Amino acid sequence: MRLPRFYAKKRGHRRTGSREWGVVGDGLFHGALLLAGMCFGGLLVSGVAAPEWRINHEFRETTGTILAKGLAKTTVADPPATVITNWRPCLLVRYSANGVMHESWSHSTTAINTSDREVALRRLSEWALGTEVVCWYDPASPTMVVLQRGYNWWLWLLSFLLPGALVLIGGTGLVRVIRAWGKSEEHRAASAGISELLDPLAQPALAAPGYPAVPICDDLVNSPGTVLRYRLPIESPESWTLVGFGLFALLWNAVVVVLAVGAGLDLLGGRIDWWLFALLVPFLGVGIGGITLFIRSLVFATAVGPTQLEISDHPLLPGGRYDVLLAQGGTGTFQTLTLSLELEEQATFRQGTDTRTEQVVVWRQQVACFHDVSAATDSRFEARAVVDVPNIAMHSFTSAHNAVRWRLVVRGTPERWPEFCRTFPMVVFPVGVDLPESASRSLVVHTRTPSQEVTQ
Amino acid sequence: MTTATDRVPSKPKIEVQFDRPHRQHEPRDTLAVRYRIEGCDGERICAIEHSVLWYTEGKGEEDLGVHFFQRVTDRAMMPPATTAGAFSTPLPQSPLSYEGVIVKVRWCVRVRLFFDGSRDFVSEHVFNVGHIPPARMPSARA
Amino acid sequence: MPGMVSNPFSTRHTRPGSIAPLDATGRPVDLDVLLDRLHGFGGTAAIVGPHGSGKSTLLTHLATCLERDGRRAPRIRLHSWADIPAAWRAIHRAAPGDTVCIDSWECTGRLVGGLLRILARVTGCHLLVTSHHRVGFPELLQCTTSPALLRSIVGGLPAHGLWLGKVIHAEDIDQAFANHGGNLRESLYELYDRFEAAASPIQCVGGDGSIDHTGLTGIYRKIHESADGFSYVGAPERNLG
Repeated sequence: MRLPRFYAKKRGHRRTGSREWGVVGDGLFHGALLLAGMCFGGLLVSGVAAPEWRINHEFRETTGTILAKGLAKTTVADPPATVITNWRPCLLVRYSANGVMHESWSHSTTAINTSDREVALRRLSEWALGTEVVCWYDPASPTMVVLQRGYNWWLWLLSFLLPGALVLIGGTGLVRVIRAWGKSEEHRAASAGISELLDPLAQPALAAPGYPAVPICDDLVNSPGTVLRYRLPIESPESWTLVGFGLFALLWNAVVVVLAVGAGLDLLGGRIDWWLFALLVPFLGVGIGGITLFIRSLVFATAVGPTQLEISDHPLLPGGRYDVLLAQGGTGTFQTLTLSLELEEQATFRQGTDTRTEQVVVWRQQVACFHDVSAATDSRFEARAVVDVPNIAMHSFTSAHNAVRWRLVVRGTPERWPEFCRTFPMVVFPVGVDLPESASRSLVVHTRTPSQEVTQ
Repeated sequence: MTTATDRVPSKPKIEVQFDRPHRQHEPRDTLAVRYRIEGCDGERICAIEHSVLWYTEGKGEEDLGVHFFQRVTDRAMMPPATTAGAFSTPLPQSPLSYEGVIVKVRWCVRVRLFFDGSRDFVSEHVFNVGHIPPARMPSARA
Repeated sequence: MPGMVSNPFSTRHTRPGSIAPLDATGRPVDLDVLLDRLHGFGGTAAIVGPHGSGKSTLLTHLATCLERDGRRAPRIRLHSWADIPAAWRAIHRAAPGDTVCIDSWECTGRLVGGLLRILARVTGCHLLVTSHHRVGFPELLQCTTSPALLRSIVGGLPAHGLWLGKVIHAEDIDQAFANHGGNLRESLYELYDRFEAAASPIQCVGGDGSIDHTGLTGIYRKIHESADGFSYVGAPERNLG
């Protein structure tokens, strides 16, 4: 029997190797998510949502008379030695159901258990004995009567949102894994029909009017800068990593909380469900790991601080000189902070179900490099630099499967944290042609050089 | 004026003439092309298509954008009535010809002959738009 | 055209339909023999082989041969389920005796594949498909790869006489084959990079003019300046050069 390899080989820019273990892990992860979502959703729907829905839709209206009133008392053990007492207003109602008179203590969906007896008595005093009231009874069980109807929207939201998200993520992931198991790459992609339709990357970017295959830059010029004309949007994978870790930690730990509550209630009832505890331990471990990863990413993002780039004009033109403001927040010291202008090519090839994307930086020029940069808590590090776009540079280009992209890249080496890289995409138009309105201004020429620049 | 000739044994031959030296054009220039068809005496042509387009070449799928397209079905404008043809079009402002590492953008003229039946013959002739020098492999930069 | 550099390993020259079908030893596949075998199977068969072993190339050439014999052979390439309606339409519209060529048949799955086969029987057309594994059709050919096959493919690329042995050497080809475990497509990508690296000193963006250190510009130019060839109405592949 040949076990799958745990590792993968790296060949050039691509990784190859056995992926069986990855698929097993993927399947277990999504299966656990699906199971947790179904259990959680089932509990919420059967315990809360379904009874409430029945009261509002299936219970029949009638009139009744309040015969008696009182407080229902429930006690819950609160280990190790105390007992919590809850009070709930209850009304004895005489009413007619299907021509038969019934007397029954009401159940109210909006009545809230309270540990404060005085509060419960005040609520009870709102009802007067002998008054005629509208009430609703269960046609399937006429002795069940309520005096108030309505929805607890928070519970409904909880019933559908959280378990729904778990079921959706886990279910789709599991279906993908099952369909992919033991099948060729081509066969696997056959199940990617819907995701393909939803894949924005499959669509070519919009072209600037009058400039075929030159990407539109509206999204890059809709944010004004504080010093220079435009603030460039960031394209940072770190942000997505942080969001990903955060979502994972949130969802996973929600499952852990549900399991823990179930286990806790069992304990309170004097029962120990060993299977539940056995499930809870690894879930708790993964949950703690998720939180740790999220906090670490959060601390990293906070400690390193945001990076901002402002530019004097946009889109850029070959041969143009542009003033750039680099601003770096954070609290620590950066050994180096470099700003580079890069030209990247991207090519995507699809053969059968194999989609292969490759990116190559074909040109890179260091614009500025700063050493031993300190950013204080109350003020960010700021420096100006001049970006020279080569006068025979290729313009930005995009088509369905190919692209040529310009970008400014900030790379930093914090003293106590790993290196980071943040990219700011830009659009370069062809030279010597009429620019669209947003780019028709004359080029701004700046001669100022950054005071802390060491190399350029 | 530059000339390109394609020859396929015992098959049609389409000779294309560009109006600029070295097939070098500028954005918004007017591209004028003349062509001559030979070698299809035995077959009847039912349509001729002229097109000016850019396409990508390299490691990715080939994308293309047709800038100019014309289909000729007038029998008086195709063999055997005449073996020559011409068309012209102003070139757009972009994309410029580009010799990248994994992405290359090329402009070309295509003349496609449709024979009776389901067969066609296409002849493609590349030309340059703009003066972007080739990129080079990152590892080649010292 | 100063500055133009074409790479013979670009997808234009190496995609299915651009490369002549070769067997594992690198010798040309006798398409007539395969066609006779296909007819022997009743016109329906599968080309089976691993990823990047030349199945699509062979399918494209067989379809071309069928069309040259005066038969209709519409070609469909399946990428995902989204392409299955196109396959369905092609079979539905096919006339009796036509051969519908479907690349990546395994994309259909058992159920849809079965339905397509039933539809083909109803319309009276044949199916010629490619697959990574047996799919219940008679096996027309089992595609395998070898270093000799890759060398033969490279030797058939445009203007190979000008650069083979000068820019790309036999050991480069063998190395690429070994690096990618016999996957021809990935091997050709690696050779693309090797060729590009050899061509790169010619000029660079941001440079100040055309510098031809290698003297190869003329060679590369000849590869792509013009191309021509026959194609067939409805063919999904452009057939240039």
